Amino acid sequence: MDYWLDITAYIGLGAGVTLKIFFVTLLFSVPLGVVCALGKLGKFRILRGALGVYTWVFRGTPLLLQLFFTYYGLGILSDGRIAFDPETAAYITFVFNYAAYFTEIFRGGIQSIGKGQYEAAKALGMNPGLTMKRIILPQAIKIILPPMGNEAINLIKDTALCSVITVTEILRNANRVMSRDFNVGALVIAALVYLLMTFAVIQVFRKLEKRYAYYTIR
Amino acid sequence: MCAPRDRVEELNGIEANQTEIVKATNLHKSFGRLHVLKGVDFYANRGEILSVVGPSGSGKSTLLRLLNHLETADRGSIRIDGRYIAKENADGRSEYISGKKVLKICSKLGMVFQNFNLFPHKSVIENLMEAPMTVAGVSKDAAAEKAESLLEKVGLTDKRNAYPGQLSGGQQQRVAIARALAMDPEIMLFDEPTSALDPELIGEVLGVIKNLAAERITMIIVTHEMNFARGISDRILFMDGGLILADGTPDDILVNPSHPRIRDFLRKIIREQ
Repeated sequence: MDYWLDITAYIGLGAGVTLKIFFVTLLFSVPLGVVCALGKLGKFRILRGALGVYTWVFRGTPLLLQLFFTYYGLGILSDGRIAFDPETAAYITFVFNYAAYFTEIFRGGIQSIGKGQYEAAKALGMNPGLTMKRIILPQAIKIILPPMGNEAINLIKDTALCSVITVTEILRNANRVMSRDFNVGALVIAALVYLLMTFAVIQVFRKLEKRYAYYTIR
Repeated sequence: MCAPRDRVEELNGIEANQTEIVKATNLHKSFGRLHVLKGVDFYANRGEILSVVGPSGSGKSTLLRLLNHLETADRGSIRIDGRYIAKENADGRSEYISGKKVLKICSKLGMVFQNFNLFPHKSVIENLMEAPMTVAGVSKDAAAEKAESLLEKVGLTDKRNAYPGQLSGGQQQRVAIARALAMDPEIMLFDEPTSALDPELIGEVLGVIKNLAAERITMIIVTHEMNFARGISDRILFMDGGLILADGTPDDILVNPSHPRIRDFLRKIIREQ
């Protein structure tokens, strides 16, 4: 029994790291995604082009490759002048990767609000900034919640990729137990921890969606 | 909107003719290849109730939307309450003053849309309070008080906490009228306010507009309701093919139309009804 408690605690240690990556990624990638989405919908063509390249690169290449690039590649390219510890490399990669997805989700959400809303706001004297803040974004949130929930679940699971750059998260710790003791139970424990986390995420998003269920967008 | 500012500003003085609260000259507007307005001269006097009628695609709505800058004119000038928002330059192109100033001048105009365009995430009373609080800087209490009195005016006091999605089309349009009035406009623009409504809901909206007319607020109404237009209007414009073909009293236009296009249009409408 002590053995199982021990390995569970060890894997639980990894869960702390996983949660850290999860929250840091959301904390930075959501605002970054909002800004990039507004930039993509803005009138500056060069900025739109640059953001197009950004989302294309980060959505169009494997997250694993991006992790390798940040952790190993940048160090080699810069002759060791840029060197991140594994966790920092994970934060940086995940923030930019997820912000790219959020950019597209937010852009789609904002674009799905009809032009009648902009016109009504303008006819009432509201300037574009005020219209975005008070009329468009609050409605876009309702639309983007379901895809955001999906991304949040993906994010929990994607953190497992960080094990390959030696971040001591859930899967890495489980894997070490397994190869040390030839015990597949470690993987089962890891799976249960992931399930627990994704269940919590699902519950949070269910609550959020309920909170926005009080109105319907025609 | 990115017109050279100082040039337009010089032209932006107060005009002498104070009875003409809206004045537009030689308005042209194309959407791609579609030439929607082909040189329209338009005016509305202070306190006047003006209806614009004519077949679909004649440019009525576009004219209305140019007046409050929901569309920009290609050519021609637009003056609201003595101040130009667009002025024809030497090449005949419309040159607009800055977007901020247009927004300010156009805040004298309230607009009611065919599809209501209420804010679905805000309750009825929040719809009425939004612009007064965020644009006009009115306090929350004052905005709420004003909203209550407007809801009473349109007969929807009991719906103050409902959301637009819970209301019938007629109720939504009455809220939309109240929302426009909350900004104390000097001119109300109605863009086919009953065209999206079920027949049995048209009456309640027309009733609200009729009550407004009694307050002698300037109103420009694009409508297909001929009897309503005839009853309420001081003057009626008939538009067809991007031009104003006739301008006269309701009797001139709708009872004894001299223009064959109008007779033709009225015959079609009567047949439909």
